[in-house]
Amino acid sequence: MLGKLLKYEIKSTARVFLPIYGLIIALALLNKFFIANNTYVYSNSTNKAMQIAATVSMMTYVAFIVALFVVTLVVLIRRFYRNLLGDEGYLSFTLPVSIHSHIDSKLIVTFMWEALSLIVAGFSIFIMTINGNTMQSFSKFCMGISEVYEKYGPLAHQLTAEAIIFVILSMLACILQIYASIVIGNLSGKHKMLASFGVFIGFGIVQQIILSNVYGGRFGKNIMDGESFAYFMRTELISMIIFSLVFAAVFYFITDWMLRKKLNIE
Amino acid sequence: MDNIMECRNLVKYYPGCLALNSVSLAVPKGQIVGLLGPNGSGKTTLIKLMNGLLTPTSGEILVNGMKPGVETKRIVSYLPERTYLNDWMDVKTMTDFFGDFYKDFRKDKAYEMLQRLGINPKDRLKTMSKGTKEKVQLILVMSREAELYVLDEPIGGVDPATRDYILNTIISNYSENATVIISTHLISDVEKILDGVIFINKGSIVLTSTVDDIRENEGKSVDALFREVFKC
Repeated sequence: MLGKLLKYEIKSTARVFLPIYGLIIALALLNKFFIANNTYVYSNSTNKAMQIAATVSMMTYVAFIVALFVVTLVVLIRRFYRNLLGDEGYLSFTLPVSIHSHIDSKLIVTFMWEALSLIVAGFSIFIMTINGNTMQSFSKFCMGISEVYEKYGPLAHQLTAEAIIFVILSMLACILQIYASIVIGNLSGKHKMLASFGVFIGFGIVQQIILSNVYGGRFGKNIMDGESFAYFMRTELISMIIFSLVFAAVFYFITDWMLRKKLNIE
Repeated sequence: MDNIMECRNLVKYYPGCLALNSVSLAVPKGQIVGLLGPNGSGKTTLIKLMNGLLTPTSGEILVNGMKPGVETKRIVSYLPERTYLNDWMDVKTMTDFFGDFYKDFRKDKAYEMLQRLGINPKDRLKTMSKGTKEKVQLILVMSREAELYVLDEPIGGVDPATRDYILNTIISNYSENATVIISTHLISDVEKILDGVIFINKGSIVLTSTVDDIRENEGKSVDALFREVFKC
């Protein structure tokens, strides 16, 4: 049943994201065209109209990149709220599907769009900047990286793996924090959105208090060179991974429990 | 199990309001039962509890001998008083959706009814009128071969001609072992299809009876009895 939920979850959100991705890539190509033709360089020989077009194109691109991340957040909140706690919840919760499948499907799809949005944004920058020079510095950068890997082999690999796991887990924890805030905020009779926002801030404060008690003063105690800093980070990242895992689990549990026991669709 | 739905001392308390006050009730299989009561009497609360959309404060509610959950949702076809259709879908996607999630959904039946009521499967739900949406919803719900149909105000928003078609649909679409629970205040319209009635008021069951008993013992229609019991 999770597969079927995922299918409709993707269907309902793809129609928002895919057009934006398409536009961003198209605008990046257009910008690339202007850059390649030196349209941005002011000189008498360049066409005024072309310059204006180039500027508009670049500004639109930037606006779309900003919009992409706003939309990702808005869709995450709206989809969860409407599909589970709004009128659509009457259907969602009478499907023969467990509550955690509902949460899982929304979590997975939201994570997928967040990751894709980052990839598309990165790719669009790549499109615009690619030329002989940047390719050269990019390959230099890659070589530098591979040198580091050769020198520090296992340590570098471990650090990379830990960093990736940490980023993924904190993204998931953040999505679940929003879900938990929405279901708790939904208990309040009026001002549900405001209450949810308050709960979200509250969760953030609690997390900060816990983390600052654990990590306070541990960073920057003594000045380290790159190598010992890497060793230091290797252990620190593991504890940070554990913390994000715990936070994610707590938020997941709250969301699941609230939807099971305290569900009250308008 | 002879009862498709059973409540024992069921209590539902909302902050500041007792919605159901120790309700004990049994609905046998194979009947069409009217759940009748004035506005705010607890009909929708009881129906939401049957569907697991609310959890009881105390007491117990069983559907086919089980607490509401994934298993009961498989066999219950529920029509809420709200339109729950996803705005972004068209009617065809919606039938696919039902077909994907409910094994007992009969697509051919749904398409036949859609055609009969002149609804184009390509139409987007967003552009439909409230009445049309209600029709689509009812068609989807009645195209399942469920064991229990729970219909909350199924004819409230549609015109009298469609009302007749819907009531006919309900009678002709449910099999012998299936049970239909209909909540409504349009009693005279549904009276002719009901086997039994449950009168509910202020969270308590006032009366449960078969329609034949009411006619024989009281000598009046359900509608007349309702007006008498709930006289303001």
